[in-house]
Amino acid sequence: MNKKPEKSKEPEGVDKELTLADLPVGASATIVKIIPNSRGEKKFADVGLVPGVELVMQAHAPFGGLIRVKVMETSMALHASDAKNIVMKKGSKKGEKTL
Amino acid sequence: MKKHFKIALAGNPNCGKTSIFNALTGARQHVGNYPGVTVESKSGWFSIGDIEIELVDLPGIYSLSSSSPEENVAFEVLTGKGIDLILNVIDSSIPRRSMYLTTQIAELHIPMMLVFNMSDDARKRGIKFDIGKLEKYFGSPIVQTVGRSLEGVKPLLDRLPKVLEELDNHGVPMLSYGSDIDDSISEIASRIDALNVKRYAHIPSRFFAVKLLESDSCTMKIPEFKPVWKDVVAQIKHLSDIHAIDEAHTFMADRRYAMISGAFRDSMSMTGEKRRQISDKIDSVVTNKVFGLPFFLLVMYATFWFTFTCADPIMGWIEAGFGALSEGIKSVWSAESFPYLRDLITDGVIGGVGGVIVFLPNILFLFFAIALLEESGYMSRAAFVMDGIMRRFGLQGKSFVPLVLGFGCNVPAIMATRCIESEKDRKTTIMVLPLMSCGARLPIYALIIPAFFAVQYQALMMWIMYLIGVVVALLGARLLKNTVFKGDGEVYLMELPPYRMPTFRSLLLHMWDRAKMYLHKAGTIILATSILLFIANTYPEKKVFSKDYDSLIETAYKAGSLSRDDVRILSDGNLLSADAIAEIEEQGTLSEDMIASLEEKNPNLAQEAVLEKSMELNSQISKLENEKNAEAMEYTISGRIGKFMEPFFKPIGFDWRLATASIGALAAKEVFVSQLGILYAEGEADEESVPLREQLAKNYTPLQGFCIMLFCLLSIPCFATLAVIKREMNSWKAMFAEVFALLALAYVSTFIVYQVGTFLHIGTKLVS
Repeated sequence: MNKKPEKSKEPEGVDKELTLADLPVGASATIVKIIPNSRGEKKFADVGLVPGVELVMQAHAPFGGLIRVKVMETSMALHASDAKNIVMKKGSKKGEKTL
Repeated sequence: MKKHFKIALAGNPNCGKTSIFNALTGARQHVGNYPGVTVESKSGWFSIGDIEIELVDLPGIYSLSSSSPEENVAFEVLTGKGIDLILNVIDSSIPRRSMYLTTQIAELHIPMMLVFNMSDDARKRGIKFDIGKLEKYFGSPIVQTVGRSLEGVKPLLDRLPKVLEELDNHGVPMLSYGSDIDDSISEIASRIDALNVKRYAHIPSRFFAVKLLESDSCTMKIPEFKPVWKDVVAQIKHLSDIHAIDEAHTFMADRRYAMISGAFRDSMSMTGEKRRQISDKIDSVVTNKVFGLPFFLLVMYATFWFTFTCADPIMGWIEAGFGALSEGIKSVWSAESFPYLRDLITDGVIGGVGGVIVFLPNILFLFFAIALLEESGYMSRAAFVMDGIMRRFGLQGKSFVPLVLGFGCNVPAIMATRCIESEKDRKTTIMVLPLMSCGARLPIYALIIPAFFAVQYQALMMWIMYLIGVVVALLGARLLKNTVFKGDGEVYLMELPPYRMPTFRSLLLHMWDRAKMYLHKAGTIILATSILLFIANTYPEKKVFSKDYDSLIETAYKAGSLSRDDVRILSDGNLLSADAIAEIEEQGTLSEDMIASLEEKNPNLAQEAVLEKSMELNSQISKLENEKNAEAMEYTISGRIGKFMEPFFKPIGFDWRLATASIGALAAKEVFVSQLGILYAEGEADEESVPLREQLAKNYTPLQGFCIMLFCLLSIPCFATLAVIKREMNSWKAMFAEVFALLALAYVSTFIVYQVGTFLHIGTKLVS
């Protein structure tokens, strides 16, 4: 579950941002933000893909395209191209967003 | 007090609403373990004491908006008038996600009761709720249920009467989005109140204020609210100016999840997580990048193997049963009294309806297998694994489940496409769905394949037929996506529910329902068409023939029957029993069976000569009989229609019989089989009944057999499917386009196969 992602050396937030699409299977990370006005922003929010939520990458489908992530105790499949719009931060910082 | 109540069931996809609906109303709506089983709202009635309740089962939704057909249905019902109580069903094993919808429904200020369903799963995962605290927070009564069993919904039934009694002073949850946002909501709400929108007078303006602030596209489309748009924009700007929000589009969602976290902070505890772990372990193989696809193909092959191999012996029994029934009626009912009615019952009804009922085991086993895949939760994994391939053909993973359901019956499969959000993907899926070989086409293959192909190739042929359907459907989808339904789709999101062991009871119920439907179809539409076809196949009767066949047959007998010497040659060899010898002496010839068995016993030259003499006579007589039958048949209504159509059907290898059967198949695909059953039952007159397959093998080549299957697979679907296509596409044009496209496709493909096959002499020899 808490396998370290392969290329974990690069400092976070610098250069290229880490997105959900880049996460290797088994790695967990926390959503930082969803790129504004991206496709499906609202739908993602409806199923729990909002900033501050921790995800675990569960699988990549054969022939590319779909990925499967664990979010809020459920398993959701979505497209890697859409997952590029979800910016992540490595590690699992506990705690909810405060009001 | 009021005695009639209307209650709506609302909740996330796959949270068990339909199970609760069935448990309460005693209905048997289909339940499955994948999101989107219910696609339209359905009502059921039940009563507790003297209270009558109408229960409305809504499609599962994640959010109270209207951005998909399902959300639309739920939104319309919930914002419409007349709902007394909303039963918000929550999968309590995943409470955080499930309650997101609750926070939106609560804004409607309609009395609400929370049903914490799947509480057994929640318990297994070590989740404990402080129900008292949660009831106070949401201002709504809460019950914990297990929807899959009748006992599990008892807490709901016990509590419901009291809740209904106290509807008037029902608590209203006041959800806080934080003081800054709440101020903005109140501001917008007061502007909406000032508009005085009649249409939505029964819904609190606060609900729309929240929706407008999160720029919900469907609320934005309501023209009455246009005047407040500028206020909404101003409020959002104000909120980001004071740094209350940093994300203009999803801040409402953020706040809702925070609200839920707040509610659960001191009213929920969680320890283990066993079930999901097992589920994840299975998934790590089943949805694996490498093993996922081979596993899927294995599952599909197992499904078809199971359907055909296991059903085979039972089909044999049913076939024998109908044969015996027909013989029995013929033996007690003499041919002199009411001969037409006698023939109608034995040849028309038993031949037609019986011929279709024989395939009931196949249908049942197929539906059993599909139900198993649905209820276990594997179906959505298959969709996940197949998405990459489907996408190459312009479809997507979500098209996959409806396409597989199409193997059962196209009608519910087309309904199931409503789970596809993308309109263009949905339309493409509907248009190619009739190419998925449905259960009604199965009897045709099951009849044809064993008649023409050796045992070791039968499973392969069946597999090929299904595969042709799938491949043509995928190519068709690609064509449609590149032309008529071009364009980018919606975002793809699909939940994979944890695996669940299907209960044996629900699988059996599912099979039983299917059996009833199939038998009902056999007893109504197929019975009616069988009688009509029998009449069309029999009348008008031909009395005067071009030749005097009867005397010709007699002359042939006189000239060719076996002499006493011939019979002695056979009896000397001791190859035949005394009974058989007696029969040969009486008939003057050997039956086909006798010839076949004798040839295996190495007859000597003299015996061989007798056999040949007998065979010569037999073929002469059967030639004459066939000519006579053919002449009689061509005189009938069917024969005339068939003859008229023959020029059209001949290039694809169909004779007039197959032509009439293809026309009858428009009513229901099984009619193809029953028409052939009737035609060949009549053809054999009053001889002992020969199984239909043997008749076919005598009359058609394997190439023709294949062409029959190909044409039936690709051609126009049954009327019921066309009707549902018209409804779901909401267009007559689409339906007629479908009819012409499929007819052309079937005709051209079969034409090419038949002509090329004939030219290359592939399968052009009769099997027997």
